Amino acid sequence: MTPLQFETRQRPRWDELEQALAALEQGRKAKKTSRAADPTALDPAHLAALYRAACEDLALVRSRAYPVHLTTRLEDLTHRAHQVIYRRSDYGLARLKRLALVDFPQSVRAHWRYMLVAGLVFALPLFLLGLATYFDPGLVLSVHDAETARQFDRMYGPGSDPFGRERGADSDWVMFGHYIKNNIGIAFQCFAGGVFVGLGSLFFLAFNGAAAGSVAGYLTARGHGEAFYSFVVTHGAFELTAIVIAGAAGLRLGQALLAPGRRTRLEALKLAASEAAVLVYGTIAMLLIAAGIEAFWSSARWVSPGVKYGVGAACWALVIAYLAAQGRPPRAQHLQRAGEHAG
Amino acid sequence: MTSLDTVVTAEAPEGIELVLRPAGIVARAYAFLIDALIRATLLLIASIALGSMNKLGGGLFLILLFLVEWLYPVLFELLPGSATPGKRAVGLKVLMDSGLPITPAASLVRNLLRAADFLPMLYGFGAIAMLLRPDFKRIGDLAAGTLVVHTDNTRLHGAIPDAAPRAPARALSTHEQAAIVAWAGRATRLTPARVDELAELALPVVGRSPDDAARAAQRLLGVAQWLMGRR
Repeated sequence: MTPLQFETRQRPRWDELEQALAALEQGRKAKKTSRAADPTALDPAHLAALYRAACEDLALVRSRAYPVHLTTRLEDLTHRAHQVIYRRSDYGLARLKRLALVDFPQSVRAHWRYMLVAGLVFALPLFLLGLATYFDPGLVLSVHDAETARQFDRMYGPGSDPFGRERGADSDWVMFGHYIKNNIGIAFQCFAGGVFVGLGSLFFLAFNGAAAGSVAGYLTARGHGEAFYSFVVTHGAFELTAIVIAGAAGLRLGQALLAPGRRTRLEALKLAASEAAVLVYGTIAMLLIAAGIEAFWSSARWVSPGVKYGVGAACWALVIAYLAAQGRPPRAQHLQRAGEHAG
Repeated sequence: MTSLDTVVTAEAPEGIELVLRPAGIVARAYAFLIDALIRATLLLIASIALGSMNKLGGGLFLILLFLVEWLYPVLFELLPGSATPGKRAVGLKVLMDSGLPITPAASLVRNLLRAADFLPMLYGFGAIAMLLRPDFKRIGDLAAGTLVVHTDNTRLHGAIPDAAPRAPARALSTHEQAAIVAWAGRATRLTPARVDELAELALPVVGRSPDDAARAAQRLLGVAQWLMGRR
């Protein structure tokens, strides 16, 4: 068969596929105007058949060294059809619900070793520097500059400008924006730093732990302990946990590069990143909650510290229970699933 | 397709190879600059609009700043077209390595790892990674398994110009046939002098005709037409 005969014989099918693709791509842009009612709608099975035929033709055209314009046309067609046919489309509310109720807490538990390491790397500097600063408040200057330290004094102390405690509803919004930008940014850094064999994550975790610890120690030493702890206890449940989880997600990346197992480093990194993405989704949600609490509840002056401690304890219990227990499959289902994997 | 082409292939389940053309650092830098301008304009307008709204506006502005800094690319990559406005203007889009549309998780990963690409300054690591790799991936692309590709295929080959079909002077191997047909397909895009020069190389194929009125190029086009199936 000559190229000319081949082209004349197959072209109608290519044209049909091209029209179908154009209609589908157009339809997707035009917000899916009830495709079922559309008389020109193409039977999906027929579309798949056309696509496979085009793939076959492309293979023939390549192996027979037919003219390049045929190859390019078929490459173009098959590429577009491939995208339409294999596109995943199960995103949406159902996916989000599954993410929040099952996938995220499950993923946190599956990565418990990373959580442990990240938690320690964050908590040890926090406690050590907290204690050290408590006994020697001047140490706060080793982490923060003098102006920041003075600002902490103003925020939590009973001074003339109690910025952190007595502000109007308006500045609550400013702080909400500030916390979103700052804290989620920190979490993202903790995650992204993991790509440098985990070192970046370790650094950001330890640094942020040290920063928080030194502030706590300093303010406690200065006698502003109650103002500070009642402020941080509630949103801390979400914020500190989320930062540890983000750091753990970063460590997962670093571990994939250091010890890729039976994969290439690149493949291991890709797998780790796709798993860590679930953790990052959860982190973002938790930090949004934290920012909301921090701006509108933690700073509320009309709530007595006792109530705040109570609510804070409830929030910690809630977060821990959620991460520890949510999304565990019922036992029977669990066994059945294990059986499926074995088979 | 030779080793000269910057082409990446992805295998489809149907057993064919999809050809993807990854975009290099220059095209992507242009796209980035355009995006940076758009982001700056957006923030400028927002700061003017929200500035008049006292502190609520200030809060909203900070939230917007966060969104524009981190999630602007994610949003646009997940919309149809899989490209930020800057990439669209330059003719780029983001795909998975498999040639499929980018997934939300991959988009999030590749854009969060911008923080790593940006280090030590001005996308230093990202630029090094892109320059070292034949598929021009930055660190975020490596981890997410994504590829930034050119959307518009340059068509170098057109239809073969008309010529009286003529049989080749000797039998041709598949490679020779492919070379002649490819040459004929590009004939309209090359300068006439270059077309002639290349045709001279194929003189043994077209045969030294006694009446040398027809140029070698014209005769070789005839051979190409014959190979295509015209008799």
